Amino acid sequence: MNRATASRTVPYGMSKAAARPNRARLMSGLTPYLFIAPGFLLFTLAILYPLVQAFQVSFYDWKIIAGAVSDFVGLENYQRALADPRFWHSLVNSGVYMLFTVPPQIALGLMVAMLLVKKGPAQPLFRVLFYLPVVTSWVVVSLLFKYLFADEGLINYTLGDFLHLSDGETSWLSSRWTAMVAICALGIWKGIGWSMMIFLAALQGVPRDLEEAAILDGANRWQRFLSVTLPAIWAAVIFVAVMLVIGGFNVFTSVLVMTGGGPGGATEVVLTYMYKQAFEYLDFGYGSAIAVLLTVLVFVLSVLQLKFFGNRDGGEK
Amino acid sequence: MTQSHKGARRAATLVALAATLMAGTANAQDVTLTFWGSYGNGGNSAQQDALNEILIPAFEAEHPGISVDYVDVPYDALLQKLTTSAAGGELPDLIRADLGWVPQFADLGVLVSLSELMDDFQMYADKTYPGSLSTNLHEGEYYGLPLDTNTRVLVTSQAALDAAGMSEPPATFEELKAMADALGDTDMAVFADSGLGSWNVFPWIWSGGGAVTDPDLTVATGYLDSDESVAAIQMLVDLYQAGQIPNLIIGNQGATSTSDGLPTGRYANILDGPWMKAIWAGQYPDFEPIYAPVPAGEGGSVSVVGGQNIVLTSSSEHKDAALEFIRFTQTEMFQLEMAKSGNMTVIPAYADAQNDNDPYFAMFSDQLKTARSRLAIPQASQVDAIISGALTPAFQGDVSVKDALSDAAAQIDQLLARN
Repeated sequence: MNRATASRTVPYGMSKAAARPNRARLMSGLTPYLFIAPGFLLFTLAILYPLVQAFQVSFYDWKIIAGAVSDFVGLENYQRALADPRFWHSLVNSGVYMLFTVPPQIALGLMVAMLLVKKGPAQPLFRVLFYLPVVTSWVVVSLLFKYLFADEGLINYTLGDFLHLSDGETSWLSSRWTAMVAICALGIWKGIGWSMMIFLAALQGVPRDLEEAAILDGANRWQRFLSVTLPAIWAAVIFVAVMLVIGGFNVFTSVLVMTGGGPGGATEVVLTYMYKQAFEYLDFGYGSAIAVLLTVLVFVLSVLQLKFFGNRDGGEK
Repeated sequence: MTQSHKGARRAATLVALAATLMAGTANAQDVTLTFWGSYGNGGNSAQQDALNEILIPAFEAEHPGISVDYVDVPYDALLQKLTTSAAGGELPDLIRADLGWVPQFADLGVLVSLSELMDDFQMYADKTYPGSLSTNLHEGEYYGLPLDTNTRVLVTSQAALDAAGMSEPPATFEELKAMADALGDTDMAVFADSGLGSWNVFPWIWSGGGAVTDPDLTVATGYLDSDESVAAIQMLVDLYQAGQIPNLIIGNQGATSTSDGLPTGRYANILDGPWMKAIWAGQYPDFEPIYAPVPAGEGGSVSVVGGQNIVLTSSSEHKDAALEFIRFTQTEMFQLEMAKSGNMTVIPAYADAQNDNDPYFAMFSDQLKTARSRLAIPQASQVDAIISGALTPAFQGDVSVKDALSDAAAQIDQLLARN
């Protein structure tokens, strides 16, 4: 189409043979950028600009008022964060959330994907059902889980009166680790559908001939999974792992809705702590410093993950 | 007033405003004041209706050329909306602000000092409850006037009194402890509250004869951790550990709320405000709450002041007109009309008329006479986080009350030193 456009717009008197390749090459070189441009513009305005702005704010005792002059404080906000036990406490909680939600989401997501990759009459229904939590609002499902894990909620009823596994009087949301169990359960439940979807797409690319060859060689299901399927979808596994680790450190809505960071700050995570500093205490400089620290941490973790796991068989794909 | 009517009038105002501006005159006659608040919070349209259908039209009739555009913002969203609007330089002229926000926004420089701008400020200030007025004070100046007020009183039920074999609600700390003993192994906890912030624990500290800071708000150490303050909190901790206060108080979001626990007989006593009447009337029509003063300790029966102030933003281009509206909010008409829908008057002289209209308010007005305000400092919300963060482990038995309060006091000292 570009080629056609180019040839039509060649001015009279100019050799078509000479003009076409240059124009065409220029146009076809530009095309991808033109497609990227709207998205990149949006990314620049909605993400890059605030990111740079937050980085700048983190070096100031920031006055939020339009036109007010803020005091430059250098690294003071960063020093304050590193010496703030509540910041470290929230970072540990975010880390624990990440550690206990990422592996189950990958394992269960992959398992569900393996089960649903084969064609069957109920397969579309199950795909939709597993994906449904992903598209449901965080606030809605957080409220739902808050009620499930309430003192007189369904979880206690099931464990106590129904299964007789506990006395049914666990105050899930009243202490740090039991509340983290509830928050992690929500994170896993809501996330499985997303990793399932990525794995389902990746599983379409597993070479059938390799699979058949492995069957002929007498490999059992588990051996075929390890030697054929997993290497073929390894890039997707890395992608899912990196995205989930980033997402794990960004846990926010569920904590804010289910515990509010309480009791007494016990379940505070980095983003709820940052949010409070900025929007409750109006300490935007400190809040921005915390945000920058988290960004750096997540960036480093992502690079490390890609470095350590990214090369394993991934290059073949 | 119909929407189209209002729209037409607003359009007319705009045309008039534009014409005046084009003419180049400095004193535009027709102005529209924008007023943000959360009167409609919780689906209570009565307050918004009173404002939009009775009070604002009355004001506009008295002040030709000034119209008031009230914008209702849900309470939970208002602080964030104010923050982002302040950053964007788009604040309204007037705000109905939560007590705790006034020093915070005054400190940011977005509010006008009314004590400086209004010649007759003192006259209006003198008429209000001192506890309500003091929430407007920041660095020696008053940045607002009280708009409506409330306080917490003890609420109990006949079922609770019967269960404990009592004829009257507990009037003292000792009677509360005796009630806990009487309730013993029943399923009813003697007291419940939903947090350990200033609003929750200050009434116990003050009633116990303790204090939070010195009168000049310069230091908390020696006050918040005084023997009296420690004893008051120790009483709550003892009750908590005896199972007589549920873990709702340390922030268990999964526990039964106070508004459900009292009518259903799980909790014997709670502290709550005048808005509960309407809530219970809707949810528990058969429940008959019994109101009493906060139990008295060595310091008497002292509760905490709640409510809202009206403030004027420094970006307002119609300050004179806005001051007229502020003066209007202090009139008997405004105060009593709002009291009808649950916003108690901030002016003691109107309290009798208010209580004649609805005797329900009498208990709250009596409690207000001795009620005190929380710390009027820009970092009041941080104080809440500090106190609940320090006290939670004390309730859980991990640290002593004395250590917890000393720790909280030391942290609050640092905040106070910044002011």
